[in-house]
Amino acid sequence: MSLHLGIDTGGTFTDFVLYDEAGRELTAWKVLSTPSDPTDAILRGLETIDDVGRIASIRLGTTVATNALLERRGARVAYVATRGFRDVPFIQRGNRRAHYDLTWVKPKPFCLRRDAYELNERVDHHGTVLIPLDETEVRALARKLRDEGEVQAVAVNLMFSFVRPDHELSVREIFAEEAPGLPISLSYEIDPRWKEDQRAMTTLADAYVKPIVGRQVRSFREKVAAAGVTGRMAMMKSNGSEMAAEAAEEQPVHLAVSGPTGGVIGAKHLAALKSIGNLATLDIGGTSTDVALVVKGVERFTDDYELEFGIPLRVPMIDIRTIGAGGGSIASLDKVGGLHVGPHSAGANPGPACYGFGGTQPTVTDANLVLGRIEPDAFLGGRMRLDVEAARRAVATVANPHGWSVERASLAIVRIMNNNMVGALRAVLVEQGHDPRDFALLTYGGAGPLHVCDLLHEANIPRGIIPNHPGQFSAYGFTMADARSDRRRSVLMSSRRFDIDRANAIMEDLSETVLADLRRQGHTSDVTLQRSLQMRYLGQNYELELPLSIDRFTEANLGSVWDDFHRVFEERYRFNLPSESIEVVDMGCTAVAAISKPDLPRLPEGMPEAAPASRRQVVFEEGTLDTPVYRRSDLAAGQSFAGPALVDEDVSVTVVRPGYQLAVDDHGNLEITRA
Amino acid sequence: MRFSPNGFYIDSYGKCANCGVLLYDEDHALRHDDRSFCSEWCLTWSKRPADDASPLPLEGAKHTYAGATDVVDLKILDGNLASICRDMGTTVMRTAYSPIFSESLDFTCGLFDRRGEMIAVGDFCPSMIGGMPLIVRTIVEEIPLDEMHEGDVIVHNDPYRGGMHTPEHTFLKPIFLDGEIVGFAGAIGHIGEIGGMVPGSFYAEATEIFAEGLRIPPVKIKARGKDQPDVWRLMLANVRTPRANYGDYRALIAGADLGERRVLELIERYGLARFERACADLLDYSEARMRAEIAEVPSGSYGFTDVMEDDGITVDTLTINVKVMIQGDEAIVDYAGTSPQTRGPMNTPLSIPQAASYNAFLQICDFTIPKNAGCFRPIKVLVQPGSLLNVEFPAPSVGGNTECHPRIVYTVLGALAKAVPDRVPAADGGTWSNFLFGGTHPETGEYYTSYDLHTVGWGGRPGADGNDAVGSMNGNCRTVPVEVYETRYPWLVEDWSLVPGSGGAGEFRGGLGMQKTIRCLAPEIIASHVGDRHQVPPWGLHGGGPAGLASTVFKVAGSDVWADARTVYGKVSPSKFAHVTIRDGDRVHVAMSGGGGWGDPARRDPEAVAHDVAEGYISTASAERDYGSGETTP
Repeated sequence: MSLHLGIDTGGTFTDFVLYDEAGRELTAWKVLSTPSDPTDAILRGLETIDDVGRIASIRLGTTVATNALLERRGARVAYVATRGFRDVPFIQRGNRRAHYDLTWVKPKPFCLRRDAYELNERVDHHGTVLIPLDETEVRALARKLRDEGEVQAVAVNLMFSFVRPDHELSVREIFAEEAPGLPISLSYEIDPRWKEDQRAMTTLADAYVKPIVGRQVRSFREKVAAAGVTGRMAMMKSNGSEMAAEAAEEQPVHLAVSGPTGGVIGAKHLAALKSIGNLATLDIGGTSTDVALVVKGVERFTDDYELEFGIPLRVPMIDIRTIGAGGGSIASLDKVGGLHVGPHSAGANPGPACYGFGGTQPTVTDANLVLGRIEPDAFLGGRMRLDVEAARRAVATVANPHGWSVERASLAIVRIMNNNMVGALRAVLVEQGHDPRDFALLTYGGAGPLHVCDLLHEANIPRGIIPNHPGQFSAYGFTMADARSDRRRSVLMSSRRFDIDRANAIMEDLSETVLADLRRQGHTSDVTLQRSLQMRYLGQNYELELPLSIDRFTEANLGSVWDDFHRVFEERYRFNLPSESIEVVDMGCTAVAAISKPDLPRLPEGMPEAAPASRRQVVFEEGTLDTPVYRRSDLAAGQSFAGPALVDEDVSVTVVRPGYQLAVDDHGNLEITRA
Repeated sequence: MRFSPNGFYIDSYGKCANCGVLLYDEDHALRHDDRSFCSEWCLTWSKRPADDASPLPLEGAKHTYAGATDVVDLKILDGNLASICRDMGTTVMRTAYSPIFSESLDFTCGLFDRRGEMIAVGDFCPSMIGGMPLIVRTIVEEIPLDEMHEGDVIVHNDPYRGGMHTPEHTFLKPIFLDGEIVGFAGAIGHIGEIGGMVPGSFYAEATEIFAEGLRIPPVKIKARGKDQPDVWRLMLANVRTPRANYGDYRALIAGADLGERRVLELIERYGLARFERACADLLDYSEARMRAEIAEVPSGSYGFTDVMEDDGITVDTLTINVKVMIQGDEAIVDYAGTSPQTRGPMNTPLSIPQAASYNAFLQICDFTIPKNAGCFRPIKVLVQPGSLLNVEFPAPSVGGNTECHPRIVYTVLGALAKAVPDRVPAADGGTWSNFLFGGTHPETGEYYTSYDLHTVGWGGRPGADGNDAVGSMNGNCRTVPVEVYETRYPWLVEDWSLVPGSGGAGEFRGGLGMQKTIRCLAPEIIASHVGDRHQVPPWGLHGGGPAGLASTVFKVAGSDVWADARTVYGKVSPSKFAHVTIRDGDRVHVAMSGGGGWGDPARRDPEAVAHDVAEGYISTASAERDYGSGETTP
């Protein structure tokens, strides 16, 4: 039982990374995904392993919840609200996606309006019951829904449930009596925080995907067990931790951003291994790019997330921003000849012109092919042959009107793509108050290594890193995941009127909840607890998170809490307001059960000089250069060479511009710096 | 425009008799029949007979892009400038005190060249995007460049000199390189409270600007990097919430600081000459793109008229009349025939019809055109001085910005519907029903003010029903969640819902407005209201029906009757009134208009009608009356 397996189900491929504790060996492979039942691809991937009985753990990153939400393939949900508030998910917040787009259609919530019900009850912001819950009415509703049999799940969101959950808990009890077997999601359990619209959408999303996630997770567990796996089966949550597969069915909304978290976990461990404080990660895919930060060795979390415009999902997750730009982004000319890349994408179908699936519009991938940066015969390890002529024809559609060569237009496409990326990357950094020059850039995903050197150049970032198996880096990260439970609750207290007893009671309740969550999954030892406050100056609208070094509030230690906030605020914004009162918006508690991590194998030291496997004509801004091509599997620790150069491997190509150099570290990571 | 001999105040505001812009150098302006003009074009236009429909091309047009800067370099430059503006905005949002920035996004940030021409603007408040160019041009006219120094920050909100209304404050920082001005970075934001007659400074019964809060001509709030304490003290002494104002001013200045820093970094990469050349080319490129868009609209003259109901002081309706003349690849937007300026605060300065006209064109065009001064060159806006939409000192204007802007947008769109019917929806609900209130919180003893916004239905459009509960066209604000609202203010929200049936009938139905009922929990709350569409509904198009009316009504504690402010508080207008005292137990109900319908209701898909009934968007009665589908419903 010494094998640990990470599996990442993607739209096109399912990635596998296997760590063998005994041999301290890491292997990676991929198979084509099977969207009708993703488990089929997993079973095919398992065939690569000689003895599945040796598997100790599987961590699965899944898109089942995300896809059900995005493609609106979830259950029919009844929404149950306080009298007067059933329209909250329909009204939303009133803003529009773009200022100047009269064709925009406002997103619909995850329920029909005819399935939105109201209950006579009301609690105010102090937790005072203004109108008691009418249990007869609840019972009648439960019976109606049961008898009609149309609704497959229920989402309950009552006003100020985060202050006083009694009414929601009663609703669940009554439903359990009258309509047992009807899944029910309570806003107090999913998201006990203020702002009823975000809580509504999050609770609805949970109810909406509960049946479909339940089916898929059961299918995964049963089929994999039937294949002979007896080890622990876990799912990846949006907060980058693993959760026992059987627990995933209870609150499936936590699987909304499952897959992309792996890369960030991998990045965090890589940063620790290499003693790098600040890393920005860039995962460039076909249609989109994910950006995340590791700051002072720690990944960043958020719950200010929108699945799509107007659909907030407020569950703890790793702060990953998605930009709508990738290898499939389409280049086009506007009416006066201006060149643009994106926001439209050729996606996987028809895909870039060079795929030969019928695409005729030029994409970033086509441009990279024309420039000689991608080897047409070696794409995806040679499993797919790219059509250079089709790429040239596509690029010519934007080159000819200007009288440009196809190469010049391709350079322009790549340059604009890189500039869009740098803008997006900078936006993420600036929003958090960081300077790009203080970061190293870690790129993975199929297209990341193609662009990393250009991005360093554009954004003035000193150092770029391409990890081992960049195409399966997320699955690799899964093998490093801990178990973790986060819980936050809105408390709305201020430094002037801070109720110590209430604060301690809430903090105790939060810590008990997260510890119990991990206990249920079998984690009782090696669990660390971190308490935190979300705070701001009274009247502001964005909070700063302050980790607490105390486990109880007392009259004596409260002053240090406020002092810490003033200090953290100044670090972030370069000023503070020591005489202002401070608002404590949320309290939070996180429990982490550390799980032992694989040791990264070291690469043997080889010849001091790396030898190129071949040479290729590659177009750079400096001109067409005779460029050495190295095979990644040939490289040994300690080797280095200067650009222009390419490093080819199974699913990606690393480009080194003239003026930059590449070095191979002890573990086989590639590092690019200015020469 | 004539300043007093000592330069401390203005003696008279001279404007172009044709387009209405301020004439700073009146002595050298073109004169004809005792009237002054800003340009040969305006002089020629004004001499034409009113029925002359022949084209009069604008001066200096750039029909195609022929700049020295490669289009790829332009794209990169535009991306970099947009990124700077966005980061400036992020800085403002994250550090501001008032939720109006972070929640309502009622601000924007821009970059300007050394002449004050806008080269880029952040994608925040749409009314400010189109309004900022005029404001900055005024500042550059009034403060000689040799009196600006590195580290200066100029503040300005004067509606008679390019501003939009008194709450909108602009902070502008000159950018210096080697002792020479090379451009400006600026941030503009709606300050929630700036003194005047009522909390929130939205005095719906103002008859002079002096009731609308503190008016600030372009003055330095920072000089050579140092705060000017006299200016800070003067500004903060005249507002009800100095603590919040201080924080918000600082946030806007921080935005301008970031813009300055980042533009200098950009210039370092480009070199000054190349940077300035590329910026000028970027304006030409945007102009060419806007021209390419306008060229797709059939040439001709298209008129449209709508009315505002009243102005808070008198009951007379106010006409907004527009004639849009498309001549090839440019547009003349002429507001002749609009009512003269009125006594109440529904007037607007010139920046509003300019911004709203640009807004309307962007709604029907490829909106990815880089927004800058060049983009707006092919759209010439003409507003006679002294009209409702070009207010003269000292008439009030605080409500004109919020109420007239969305209505001007739709009046221009109404005209364009005759030229490009497949691109224009029916009217939206047209207002945010701005409900402002303040008082002392009974639980904390602290003073508060708030600015409530409400969302409307969009009009039906070719191919789709209107959206429900979305803000009107002048802003892109988010409403405040009920739980935040009740925690901060002494109201209990009893209802927060869509207004069924509020969308106009049509082949494509208008969207629904929202409504809310709130009950007062304090001994007293002082409230004001600025809205419209209480008497004249949003219009439908091509046979579509009008939307439902908006209303704001009260039920005083102990009474069973809902009635509007005329009955309950003896006000002139049901939608524009100030300073009413709401007491413990009193209720307020605000309901918003939906959007107008598009196309003949008889052509509506019967399945869509059945769906509307099942979902409660329309009643069974409406299905029968408006769509004749009653009998077929099982």
